[in-house]
Amino acid sequence: MTSKATILTAGIDVGSSAVKVAIVESEKGSGRERPGAKIVARTVERNRRRDPGQVVTLAFETALEHAGVKRGDLAYIATTGEGESVEERTGHFYGMTAHARGALYLDPSARAVIDVGALHARAVRFDERGRVLDYRMTSQCASGTGQFLENIARYLGVTLDEVGPLSQTGQNPEKVSGICAVLAETDVINMVSRGISAANILRGIHDSMATTLAKLLRSARAVGVVQVTGGLSADTGLLSELALAAAKLGGGKLDVQAHPDGVLAGAIGAALWGAFRTERLQSLGVGVTATA
Amino acid sequence: MSAGLDAIVERADALYHDIDLTCVKQWREAHGGARAVGYMPIYVPREIIDAAGMLPVGIMGGRGQIEIIRGDAWFQSYICQIPRSTIELALTGRLDCLDGFLFPSICDVIRNLSGMWRVLFPQKYTRYLDVPQNFDPAVGGRFFAHELGGLRDDLGKLAGRAISDDDLRASIARYNENRRAIEELIALRAEAPHRAPAWEAYLILYAGNLLPVEEHTAMVRDYVAAAKAATDRAPRDQARVVMLGSFCEQPPLMLVKTLERAGCYVVWDDTALGRRWPQGDVATDGDPIVALSDAFISRSPATAAKYQPEGDRGEPLVQIVKRSRAEGVVFGAPSFCDPALLDQPMLQDALDKVGIPWTAFKYAENLGQFQVIREQAGTFADSIRLWGEA
Repeated sequence: MTSKATILTAGIDVGSSAVKVAIVESEKGSGRERPGAKIVARTVERNRRRDPGQVVTLAFETALEHAGVKRGDLAYIATTGEGESVEERTGHFYGMTAHARGALYLDPSARAVIDVGALHARAVRFDERGRVLDYRMTSQCASGTGQFLENIARYLGVTLDEVGPLSQTGQNPEKVSGICAVLAETDVINMVSRGISAANILRGIHDSMATTLAKLLRSARAVGVVQVTGGLSADTGLLSELALAAAKLGGGKLDVQAHPDGVLAGAIGAALWGAFRTERLQSLGVGVTATA
Repeated sequence: MSAGLDAIVERADALYHDIDLTCVKQWREAHGGARAVGYMPIYVPREIIDAAGMLPVGIMGGRGQIEIIRGDAWFQSYICQIPRSTIELALTGRLDCLDGFLFPSICDVIRNLSGMWRVLFPQKYTRYLDVPQNFDPAVGGRFFAHELGGLRDDLGKLAGRAISDDDLRASIARYNENRRAIEELIALRAEAPHRAPAWEAYLILYAGNLLPVEEHTAMVRDYVAAAKAATDRAPRDQARVVMLGSFCEQPPLMLVKTLERAGCYVVWDDTALGRRWPQGDVATDGDPIVALSDAFISRSPATAAKYQPEGDRGEPLVQIVKRSRAEGVVFGAPSFCDPALLDQPMLQDALDKVGIPWTAFKYAENLGQFQVIREQAGTFADSIRLWGEA
């Protein structure tokens, strides 16, 4: 699969609602930048109330199968997210570090990332090498996150795939509490009973979430291209509202972008850092290898 | 983990959770009602207690395993947790099996605690052990030998028999052996931290608070042998760090685990520092009291709880970092710990001067949330591995 001139690494991003795996091939001696690195396999496996360890194994084995490689072919298995308990790991990278690197890979012009996961969101500002310069996270409240949106979709009888396009058809978005997910859910129940359309409810929700996320980005002093990553990076309704919210807040221009592999950004970033560390450790003569 | 390693760690874990000192009661029964003497961190000359045929019992707070109800009534809010939980342990009868209690000189709070002990438990032997503030052997050494001589007389009376020089020398030899075994464990952690995780090593060291010294030496050596043989424990790509500031109130076990899970190998720390004090052997010939005093004067470890007369306070820390091949320092000190927190700026300045990265947080022994520390340790490990020289 790999030539002697390349190095194969895996990134496993263990989230609270899904496990994401990316297997990345990059050229040896390509430093932190690793130009030309390519994703050779990608897997997203929803947890669906299963044992997290089993989900990790399933996602990882599936990715290996797609890549046509064995564990022993991997130079480094890097985990991120809640992956500290994955026994096979060679090393673990913190979520911000991995998402910053993954966002830079997906868009080399990006200088910030907003990772919107199931239970929290975080804005990270980084430099042209992927080094984290500043970050802000949501606190305890889940009002700006995927689990909240998933709950609302369930109340409305809408699938997650339908949420974005439906929201974009809303013409009169209803204002929703942006502070507390519990209050917002109560708002939504009242809206349904008042006959507000699902499209306007969802656009109101997206507007509320986008305002929270834009404030996070401003607090992290983000400017320029912002990559949206995590589970909600595919939500077109959220993306369009985030662009509007960022413009409304003022300050430097924020160019909100998303990539089809945005959900995999953490896993991609971890795999790329794993490749860099493999070579660094080899140069130091330190014997750390992926556990077969 | 091998069955042998499992069993050793499980035994140490059971001792760590023996909040009622059942093992001390069992030891007393097995030894015809022999006496036991408690002591607070950091340093007490356990050799003198042991030489009197009594069991030295280290009490390192409640370790988050008890609810503090009465303890809070004895102290103001802006002091650390260990005196509250120690009072709570005593007022709930958990320390009834101890016939005496030694309070070594650490800080004003512990000095006050010794005073409260005298008021609360007048029937028990209580002593505040002053340690030298002057490390000139002719001054501080003479003073400390006098202090230890008084302690020897007191403990002899408590035990019901005078402590002979030969008894003391034999005990010093047992503790020398124990310190050597502990150094082997510390060396293993510096060499192969994946074989001896910090939380396991901590449990093994902690067991020395409760076990007779020979038993503890055997446990340490068994653990080191089993951990060295644990070839299934693969090395991981983690940052090697020194953790400093935990010499008195102990960090929750979960905090130690959190640091390692977040990507740090803790290759040296000052938890249970009293187990390694003094550094190296104490002389087993000549006057044993003078030998103990000399060892304290000449070979005490550098720590914020010990008076250091002059010079660069950070230099010993820099040397520890170099010897253990650490890549950074984690300052983990208990909230309101005056000695640890007052020293930190000087230590951090010394690290900055030689380019050793550091991070700092505070804890309490009953801390239950580790997310913030996990994030801090994780990002610190990332910054070392990705942007440092390692």
